[in-house]
Amino acid sequence: MTLIDLNPGETATINGISGNSYLLNRLVELGLLAGTEVRMVKQTPFNGPVEIKIRNSYLTIRWNDARQVDIVV
Amino acid sequence: MRTHFFDKKSKDSTNHPWVALLGNPNCGKTAIFNILSGLSQKVSNYPGITVEKKIGTVKFGKKSFNILDLPGTYSLSAESFDEQIVSDQVQNWAKGENPPAAIISVVDASNLSRNLYLTSQLLDLDIPVVVALNMIDRIDSQAQIDQNSLKTQLSVAAVVSLSAKLNQGLDDLKEAIVTVINSEEKTNHQSNWISLPVQNELKPFIDQQFVSSKFGVAHALRLVSRNINHNGNAAQVDSIRNSISNLGFNPQTLEATLRYRWIDEIVKSVQSRAKTSIRTISRSEQWDKILTHRWFGPIIFVTVLYFIFQSIFTWATIPMDWIQTGIDWVSAFVLKNMFPGMLRDVLVEGIIGGVGAIVIFLPQILILSFFLTIMEDTGYMARVAFMLDKSMTKMGLHGKSILPLMSGYACAIPGIMSTRTIDSWKERLITILILPLMSCSARLPVYTLLISAFIPPITLSGYLNLQGLTLVVMYFLGTATALILAKVFSKFIKEKTSSSFVLELPPYHVPIPRSVLRHVLIRGKLFLINAGKIIMAISIVLWFLASFPKVDQSITDVNPIHYSYAGKIGHAIEPVIRPLGFDWKIGIGLLTSFAAREVMVSTMATIYNVEATGDNIVNLREAMRSDVDVKTGMPVYTPLVALALMVFYVFAAQCMATFAIVRQETNSWKWPLFMIAYLTILAYLGALFVYQGGLLLGFS
Repeated sequence: MTLIDLNPGETATINGISGNSYLLNRLVELGLLAGTEVRMVKQTPFNGPVEIKIRNSYLTIRWNDARQVDIVV
Repeated sequence: MRTHFFDKKSKDSTNHPWVALLGNPNCGKTAIFNILSGLSQKVSNYPGITVEKKIGTVKFGKKSFNILDLPGTYSLSAESFDEQIVSDQVQNWAKGENPPAAIISVVDASNLSRNLYLTSQLLDLDIPVVVALNMIDRIDSQAQIDQNSLKTQLSVAAVVSLSAKLNQGLDDLKEAIVTVINSEEKTNHQSNWISLPVQNELKPFIDQQFVSSKFGVAHALRLVSRNINHNGNAAQVDSIRNSISNLGFNPQTLEATLRYRWIDEIVKSVQSRAKTSIRTISRSEQWDKILTHRWFGPIIFVTVLYFIFQSIFTWATIPMDWIQTGIDWVSAFVLKNMFPGMLRDVLVEGIIGGVGAIVIFLPQILILSFFLTIMEDTGYMARVAFMLDKSMTKMGLHGKSILPLMSGYACAIPGIMSTRTIDSWKERLITILILPLMSCSARLPVYTLLISAFIPPITLSGYLNLQGLTLVVMYFLGTATALILAKVFSKFIKEKTSSSFVLELPPYHVPIPRSVLRHVLIRGKLFLINAGKIIMAISIVLWFLASFPKVDQSITDVNPIHYSYAGKIGHAIEPVIRPLGFDWKIGIGLLTSFAAREVMVSTMATIYNVEATGDNIVNLREAMRSDVDVKTGMPVYTPLVALALMVFYVFAAQCMATFAIVRQETNSWKWPLFMIAYLTILAYLGALFVYQGGLLLGFS
């Protein structure tokens, strides 16, 4: 499963991130590490960016990037 | 690229030790800087310098120190241009090049772990660190932080809690800094977070110039883990990555994993009673249920935009009238109290007329930058970027393009500089290229003059004012063309880039009035100084060109300006612009506008002042309206000519300062030259289409 499979309000644990190293670097620095809990806050129409809550902050990432984040519920 | 913050000339308070202010975006760093440095703040800015460096002097008792504000960043592995500035600076310090006496690491107390990530990277430098726990007013009693324990576990010089918003704890911070600066103690932060086998693998990439070996190791790991251009070392990088993987670590996530493991332990012990859960719905999240709602969100944003533009075009007219009255008074005063002669002529016709035409739209610049600052400081701008990212991407832009594009309505230069936060080069470049099409406030005087002179104040279908409508059409024309071209450019520009959009939505804040005010005033000051310098010089040169050589009035009844240098130049280019309906006087205006668009108005003012032989400053609008072709007896300027001229100004490549800044930001001549070429072609064709089309339809 990936982040986009979460409905708004649902939580999960991050398993790992695939995809290009730029994105990977950014996301791990912001704390999206394996084992970290995440909650889907909002999805936008037409596969626009998604908003998630992680640690104590709200982050938005593009739909395509969110698809690279593996999760376990 | 190396940027030197403290070049020799700017060291006016050389003897003071200095400290650096670093922190995440939205941690309140700039507000702390504004309050600490007060009025001593110096901003060196465009044009000429690529980096906006802000330095202030802080006094505490008898001691004083300088403080340098650096752009906000999440880490030292740079991705965007702003982050590159920080990472370059920190590397210089690590090599012992003018390091600060201490680092103030600003930390948002309500988001400890993410903020301490940067702090932990800074500890590697072995420069004394003072942790400033900001926004302490935001955390509730359960999340209280044990400061002593935090200080010991991080092994930093001091931990100070404060609130920039409530103006609390800033003296404690100053005291802590002064103490640290004057301490003789050697700094050696504990940190053996990378295991020795990994350190050994990294050896080939450890730069021996770094004073602290901890920083050297961490820097080498950042180099190896990133997919940047490794200049022929690619094979070596691959083999190091493989060896690290064989040791059981993922090189790309190793640094973050180890640092967060360390930080999470510390945070857990210093905030033992905190019950943080990602399920907690913050107050900002509640607000966002409406403010970024899929339907209400965009509606609210459009309403906000409408309100901003309404205020620029209605409220601003009041102070603008005051300024006009003031300028009229000054020129009347000079006319009355100075002996007639060349000096008085150059003063009234050249300088007061020219500079006056610019000062008048200062209110609009101030109002627009006030609103943009509020949107930015409250956290609303980040939401706008979030909502618009999808549509912006469709047009070849980026969610973060919205702030630069909106700033472009005030002035392209701060707009171009604020593209630095866009972390994808291609989208940043496209945003820069289309920015001059956003009608900046320098074009407003040109539109205003032509509209009030030539567009009749008719009211259409009850409430639509034709003059106002024309203005809206001009803004729309520029913006729509910009968006279409963004799409076109994105198809043709082949720049290697990895585009992504990772943006934090910070909690909503009530902006700190002092901080907002200071920001707006600095914008206004920079505008006046930069525009003023160019315009004053051009006004004087132009006045000279338009006044010499003098002709004997008794032998000809034709106006002397025809024979002046300016007249000759204007007549020479007239054949080229005749198809657009422009005469030689507009020709002179177009040439001088290349320095800056608003010069058009002051140029026309100078030309007509010179042409009118009386001692009064003529009303420019009346003068242009009543100007008659000597041969045909027909008016020189018609509504159609005015319209063509406005369209020309919507597109035209004018404003040298913009091209200078594009040259710097793109680090090449290619892009500014491309920009001038495409804008000029667009302007010429646009005006040609309007004028010739209008003639065909029977307008004159």
